[in-house]
Amino acid sequence: MMKTFSIGGIHPNDSKISKDCRIEVLPLPSKVFISVAQHLGAPATPVVKVGDQVKVGQVIAEPAGFISAYVHSSVSGTVKSIGPRKDLAGNNMTHIEIDVEGDEWVEGVDLTDTLVTAIPEDNKAILDKIKMCGVVGLGGATFPAHVKLCPPPGKKADCLILNGAECEPYLTSDYRIMLERSREIVVGAAIMKQVLGGCPAVIGIEENKPEAIKAMTEAVAELQKSAKGYDGISVMTLKKKYPQGGEKQLIDAVMGRQVKSMGLPIDVGAVVQNVATSLAVYEAVQKNMPLITNVLTVTGDCLPVEKQHNYKFRIGMPLSYVAEVAGGVPEQAAKIISGGPMMGKAIANLEATTVKGSSSLLYLTAEQTVRGAESACIRCGKCADACPMGLEPFLLNKLARNGMMDELEENAVQDCIECGCCLYSCPANIPLLDIIRLAKGDVIRIIRGRSAKS
Amino acid sequence: MEKLLVSPSPHLHTSTSTKSLMRDVVIALLPAVVVSVLFYGWSELLVLGVSIASCVLLEYVITKYLLHKPCSVGDYSAVVTGLLLALNLPSTTPWWIVFIGAVVAIGVAKMTFGGLGQNLFNPAIVGRVFLLISFPAQMTDWTRPQGFIGGGLDSISGATPLGLAKEGGIAAIEGLDYMDMLFYNIGGSAGELSAIALIAGFIYLLCRRVIKPYITLSILATVAIFSGIFWAIDPATYTDPVFNLLTGGLLLGSIFMATDYVTSPMSNWGGVIFGVGIGLITMLIRYFGAYPEGVSFAILIMNSVVPLINKVCHAKKYGRA
Amino acid sequence: MTTTIIWTIAILTVLGAVLAVVLYIVAEKFKVEEDPRIDEVEKVLPGANCGGCGQAGCRAFAQFCVESSPNLDKCFCPVGGNEGMQKVAAVLGVEVAVKEPQVAVVRCNGTCENRPRTNEYGGYQSCRVKAALYSGDTGCSFGCLGCGDCVAACQFGAISMDPVTGLPVVDEEKCTACGACVKACPKAIIELRNKGRRNMRVFVSCVNKDKGAVARKACKAACIGCGKCAKVCPFDAITVENNLAYIDFTKCKLCKKCVAECPTGAIHAVNFPVIKPKPEAAPAAPAAPAAQPVKKEE
Repeated sequence: MMKTFSIGGIHPNDSKISKDCRIEVLPLPSKVFISVAQHLGAPATPVVKVGDQVKVGQVIAEPAGFISAYVHSSVSGTVKSIGPRKDLAGNNMTHIEIDVEGDEWVEGVDLTDTLVTAIPEDNKAILDKIKMCGVVGLGGATFPAHVKLCPPPGKKADCLILNGAECEPYLTSDYRIMLERSREIVVGAAIMKQVLGGCPAVIGIEENKPEAIKAMTEAVAELQKSAKGYDGISVMTLKKKYPQGGEKQLIDAVMGRQVKSMGLPIDVGAVVQNVATSLAVYEAVQKNMPLITNVLTVTGDCLPVEKQHNYKFRIGMPLSYVAEVAGGVPEQAAKIISGGPMMGKAIANLEATTVKGSSSLLYLTAEQTVRGAESACIRCGKCADACPMGLEPFLLNKLARNGMMDELEENAVQDCIECGCCLYSCPANIPLLDIIRLAKGDVIRIIRGRSAKS
Repeated sequence: MEKLLVSPSPHLHTSTSTKSLMRDVVIALLPAVVVSVLFYGWSELLVLGVSIASCVLLEYVITKYLLHKPCSVGDYSAVVTGLLLALNLPSTTPWWIVFIGAVVAIGVAKMTFGGLGQNLFNPAIVGRVFLLISFPAQMTDWTRPQGFIGGGLDSISGATPLGLAKEGGIAAIEGLDYMDMLFYNIGGSAGELSAIALIAGFIYLLCRRVIKPYITLSILATVAIFSGIFWAIDPATYTDPVFNLLTGGLLLGSIFMATDYVTSPMSNWGGVIFGVGIGLITMLIRYFGAYPEGVSFAILIMNSVVPLINKVCHAKKYGRA
Repeated sequence: MTTTIIWTIAILTVLGAVLAVVLYIVAEKFKVEEDPRIDEVEKVLPGANCGGCGQAGCRAFAQFCVESSPNLDKCFCPVGGNEGMQKVAAVLGVEVAVKEPQVAVVRCNGTCENRPRTNEYGGYQSCRVKAALYSGDTGCSFGCLGCGDCVAACQFGAISMDPVTGLPVVDEEKCTACGACVKACPKAIIELRNKGRRNMRVFVSCVNKDKGAVARKACKAACIGCGKCAKVCPFDAITVENNLAYIDFTKCKLCKKCVAECPTGAIHAVNFPVIKPKPEAAPAAPAAPAAQPVKKEE
């Protein structure tokens, strides 16, 4: 019996059209614009000046707080400007503009393909490297990885879960790296596992990716045979259900434990990292390579097969450039999404640039994505059946529209993970998540204010 | 692509809509409709036609001219109400009584509460009960008109099996063939005629995930257990479980009326409580009440406690033991 | 039969009497002592329960007034206005200072024409939802989002969306300056400003803090922070901060020199008597409907 999370969930068509496209390397543009806010937490502080010569992998912005991350230059060249530029939501954010001149890397980065399996022994040095290389979670939240890998005092990790579920429809970047970089991912897992005190590591992959399951299982077996430190790593096949890749859902599926409301995964002994993060950790620790590249999928039903791509990109490339290289924006595309169609962001500004966490350029047609007109709630309860947190969106929607904060908190609006299952499944097209998301923010602010007072 | 469309996530949507759900209910009712038309002929067609037409018309007129809301006729909900109302009436009901039933169902039970999704009571049942109380003679005229097939049916039967049992005790219903009743021979409202047709609709609804089985099954189980206990104690006075399951519109009520989204509880456990309540009240009315059958009353009574059930029963939340 | 009736009547009468006594005792015992003046103050209040005073409703405001009496400086009912506050003061037997009447002012002139749409919004029609998602469907990330949260927030029907410009319009006659729209606007576009002499006002109808070129590119009527208005102002009423000019309504003497100076027409002068038809008056057109005297319906 395959495992999955216990409450709710939906089964959208998985549409992994681009799954057979090998990862290609995107050519360098003439200019990059590197954002200083590519992670959760405080935007980094630029440490270069206009006119500076930078090399690939050089630090160009430093963390501005505990939850923040280093940002490195993804190209070599001259810093042209540092100033506000609109991100994909159209809001101003400081970007560092660099004119590309050649491709000269900083010293010490191992650019070969050789697999380094020996894991350094000094955990502190490993964590330092992860931090210095600006590694962040690449599963969507871009939470600084080194912070997650240092459990607070008194808490111990019982299990490291590698998220290879890729439950969002269309996305195939994780799938491709699991096929093409499987051994590197396993090494990354072994490194993180060691840092966490040697707990077992489970790589969770959904059943709709049998090739990835096979590749990862083989990689684990091979490394366990040939090198030290790879015991306790296993691959777990999960039933296909969205949102399997949600942190809380994955912990429930793999460990059978549930994180308490407003709690952290580490409270139940779990640390969840994406497979792409694991690859970034491998690159950082074994190859000294800072996080300046990632893989993104260019896909969509309106895109012909030959224009489907999985690209290895460098941060700071304008999305319009990526789209151009991939063959242009299709005529039928009404909406372009960065990320998956369930939780990704609609792009308002195609001049925005790639960031560490970019995972796709997804073209959706008007037919697929335009919402139908809202009609009356018929109380069918489909939203409540779909909610993976066991909430009652129909009720939260009503409470939120009436501004009933106490009742919203009682009915756990703060537990919402914004997965979109409720809005997806509503037959009356009620904008449940739009409204609940706001209420959630308000209630969390109230809760924080209260705990700050006491 | 002219201007990029921007909206909050999720960017995909299920193909299920209010309209498709209601259409599925209509499809699920079709077997029962076909059977009733075949056996009751033209007069049943008239009842169905008048009921559906007047429900749709009233819905249109009221939403457009009284409530000034966007017209909700397109979502098939009025068709469902009309169908259910017709199937809950004897096939001999005069057209004007059917129309009054439709006025009460749509005008009073649905629109006064604000239309689709707002009503506390199931409109079709309110219409039916109103007619039952106002026109007792016509509403219990179980004469069977000539149908398109099945001329050999008892065409002068004056009462339903439950009515017979109420009047003449257990002796009056001896000789009823349960196999007959399963297929086409349950006396009473048009929709009750064939248990198999109704069960086929139930299976369709379950397969299409339109309804969940909790409410229906808990009603049927409660009725079976309750009547089973009484029957086991005193088979000379009380009717047996199979008889109770097959008669009095229990299947029609438990599959199509009690499971109405708007007037039933949202949670699974709430549905079970709701179903058990309906089953108990139905059997109490049948065994001890003045009316021979009580499914409609039971559903109405339990409709009124749905808000309370919703308040008490919530879904199991993640991470909150 | 008769006995049944008599018994029924007797029992009900006794029951009624007993319950009446119980109710009386409970009412006496749990009586809440309240200042009788609260009731009196509440009576002279408009009873809109809008919360514009900062209290939970008229009753709460009445209590607040009684508590803060004799100093009523912090109490102001925007609906009743100065007249209403005089009545409250009379009830409490104290003096209250007359406050300058205010009105809500929409500081955005990003009409469809001035500010072309760069994308299309397809989510729930709420400014708050839209603002949380992104910068809006134009190049300007500061201006009006046009979903009408302010219209929904107004309890007096004083704000409506102009379908042509896509901007909210304030009906000055109906506006009570309760501030509900100010709170509802996620972009902080609406401001309460003094009504001014004969309702005449001069204000910067823009809140864009982008640099001049960026702002101008996004919207033809944007304030580009050039500072010409501040230089020409004889009363030091204009400050330019973060590429945005602001006119202090307490200092402005309505000379209108800045209006003529502004290169983008971002400064609006409303309700001034028309002396001669000026071409510059064109940018102020969207504000004009509000400027026309509105006939009271009562």
